[in-house]
Amino acid sequence: MKRRELLKLAAVTAALLTTTALLASGNAYAQDKKWKIGFSQVTTIEPWRAQFNKDILAEAAKHPEVELIVTDGEDKTEKQVADVENLIRQEVDALLVSPKESAGLTGVVQQAIDAKIPVFVLDRNVETKDYTQFVGGDNKLIGRAAGEYAVELLGGKGKAAGNVVEIWGGMGTQPAHDRHDGFHEFTGKEPGIKYLLDQQSGDWKQDQAYNIMATALRNNEKIDLVYGHNDPMAYGAYLAAKDAGREKDIKFIGIDGLPNEGVTLVNNGELTATFTYVTPGAEGLRQAIKFLNGEKVEKTITLPTEKITKENAAQILKDNGL
Amino acid sequence: MSILNILSRTKLYWGLIAIFLIGVLGSPISSKGNNIFLSYGNLLDVLRQVSTTGLIATGMTAVIITGGIDLSVGSLMAICTVVCAMLLTVPGVTPAVVLGVPTVAVVALCLGILVTRFIFLNIEKSRAGSQATHDIRLDSVRGLVTPGIVGVVLCSLVLWFLLPQVGSKFGVLGVLLVAPCVGLLFGALNGFIIVAGRLQPFIVTLAMMVTALGIARLTAGQNNAVLPVYTGSNATADFEILRSLVFGVIPMPGLFFLGAILIYGAVLRFTPFGRYVYAIGGNEEAARLSGIAAGRVKIATYAVSGLLAGVAAVLYVAQYRQGKPDAGAGLELDAIAAVVIGGTSLMGGRGSLIGTFCGVLIFGLLSNILQLHNINSNLQLVLKGMIIIGTVLVQERNAVDFLFYLRLVFAPLWGGQAHKETTAAKRPSKETPSLNLGGNKK
Repeated sequence: MKRRELLKLAAVTAALLTTTALLASGNAYAQDKKWKIGFSQVTTIEPWRAQFNKDILAEAAKHPEVELIVTDGEDKTEKQVADVENLIRQEVDALLVSPKESAGLTGVVQQAIDAKIPVFVLDRNVETKDYTQFVGGDNKLIGRAAGEYAVELLGGKGKAAGNVVEIWGGMGTQPAHDRHDGFHEFTGKEPGIKYLLDQQSGDWKQDQAYNIMATALRNNEKIDLVYGHNDPMAYGAYLAAKDAGREKDIKFIGIDGLPNEGVTLVNNGELTATFTYVTPGAEGLRQAIKFLNGEKVEKTITLPTEKITKENAAQILKDNGL
Repeated sequence: MSILNILSRTKLYWGLIAIFLIGVLGSPISSKGNNIFLSYGNLLDVLRQVSTTGLIATGMTAVIITGGIDLSVGSLMAICTVVCAMLLTVPGVTPAVVLGVPTVAVVALCLGILVTRFIFLNIEKSRAGSQATHDIRLDSVRGLVTPGIVGVVLCSLVLWFLLPQVGSKFGVLGVLLVAPCVGLLFGALNGFIIVAGRLQPFIVTLAMMVTALGIARLTAGQNNAVLPVYTGSNATADFEILRSLVFGVIPMPGLFFLGAILIYGAVLRFTPFGRYVYAIGGNEEAARLSGIAAGRVKIATYAVSGLLAGVAAVLYVAQYRQGKPDAGAGLELDAIAAVVIGGTSLMGGRGSLIGTFCGVLIFGLLSNILQLHNINSNLQLVLKGMIIIGTVLVQERNAVDFLFYLRLVFAPLWGGQAHKETTAAKRPSKETPSLNLGGNKK
């Protein structure tokens, strides 16, 4: 009995010492860096967010004076708020936040502002105006570009006709509503266009879009165009149509245009077009460094979109080394 | 009793102290030379961050002690956050009002009846002691009539308070009343189905988890709308009190958590009800045969679990300034992990709320330390999982047995025959399973 207890005690002590030593040695590095910048990301298990992280890390590698800390909110508001609180405690020189939801992150962003940390809000906005800068794409703009092209595909202005399936992102997220509104600014003017589904959400996911599309295909003899709020959903719809043997009759439009995702799909001829929604990763970090170096920055930076079709897809893939 | 024995008995606290020491010694130092982990602000952050999980874990502990489990708490919290946010921001008769106001009335009615019956029962008992057995007045009131009347009166009082608010936005007081009641009703429903249907708690609460998610989404409208309470409402200003520091020391959510632990802990430790909970977890049949109304006690534990989920929801809305149907997703698992780390056995009958408190704090401090060191978040998950297993091994006093088996498994790798049956017989374990893991029977 005694020996067993001693063994236990020894094991626990050893474990304690190692952990402490490991943790203590961990923060000895990177003390010579000039700026410590924290970035709170929502999640990493989503292609666009992964690209986002890739972009910001690539940009950070170009700036040896910057130490970049990236946290993962695991797609939970609670976790992301805790992450930002942690970054504030670590006294970062600048804070980059890409909020999961506007309302949920507003409080903690305000807290960072109160702690005199410059805050750069990326991609999704918060409900306060005191932050340093907002960098993000304009979903409405992209929706408009998609809508304009859809009208063109369906027969041109004033004559466009056809049955359209629109697969929403999330009903609770602003990007989905913006992508919807922008799209309908163009397609809404065409009396020939009929919408088959009433606000079906695929939650940005390929598998859910597949199921929505499979049902739509069963219920409708004729579908001319599918508008997915992102590429994975457009591709999910494409797969459903392919399994039903009807993919040739339908045009598929997606959004986001990631090189290894949307662009590749367009290049393969599976999607008709996609519209880039550039991640604000690189630009956001550049702006933050600019601000830390004492330069003035604008309040809002809107990132442009690009239409990707079969014509320019191959070139873009080549530029990205794919 | 040797020192080692004392150490072994109090290992939970040592675990907490150890993790705290690791945090302090290994903490990064800020540019101004402060110990970041030990800084007042950081510790406040931790307390506030764990309070939601902590409240859920508090309710869960009693449920697990009875030998059950409650998987629905996350979804129940989600319903309550939606109800809260909607009552605070949307005027008029909303789904939240339709769901909330009758619920509060029902709960008030039941509580009124329960309490009155309890009082009359006790009066009757004391009269019996003083030989006054033929009290006609008491006879006529102790049944259902008077308790019923008292219940109806209480119910109408509540409605008198709530109904004027229907049509306009509910104040913080109203919301504080409604959300916990909604949680309580769903929790009690859980318990009732489990007891009345004699079903497994696992499957009933799993079903309730799904049902509640659906109700939360239906209430929120559209598919999964987020209901912010930040803009355009006075609610936020009123709700500031739930985010503030009490006496400038403890954050309000932390105070709720501590309060719940203390109150429920005292109930479990010092009241007959608490003894019944342990008795049921130890052996439900024996408890029932010795006259304990096991069903009612179980229903009560689930009801309290739901109630605390409702309270957690109010704090969630106050902290994150929104309500949404996926608010508590995955929370039940965090809570169960904290409860188990705190030494409560999933088989029931053993455990304490102090243990759960330590478990919740250990979990929270651990996340905080890993995050302060900016350890890769995926690696964090791996580490957390391993630490849960390690802690539970030590909790269950099986760590040495585990090492022993490990040695048996790997013995063939370095030459087999290392252990004979005699060693196995001397194994310190109480219930030595006769597992032949190879190596010792060649």
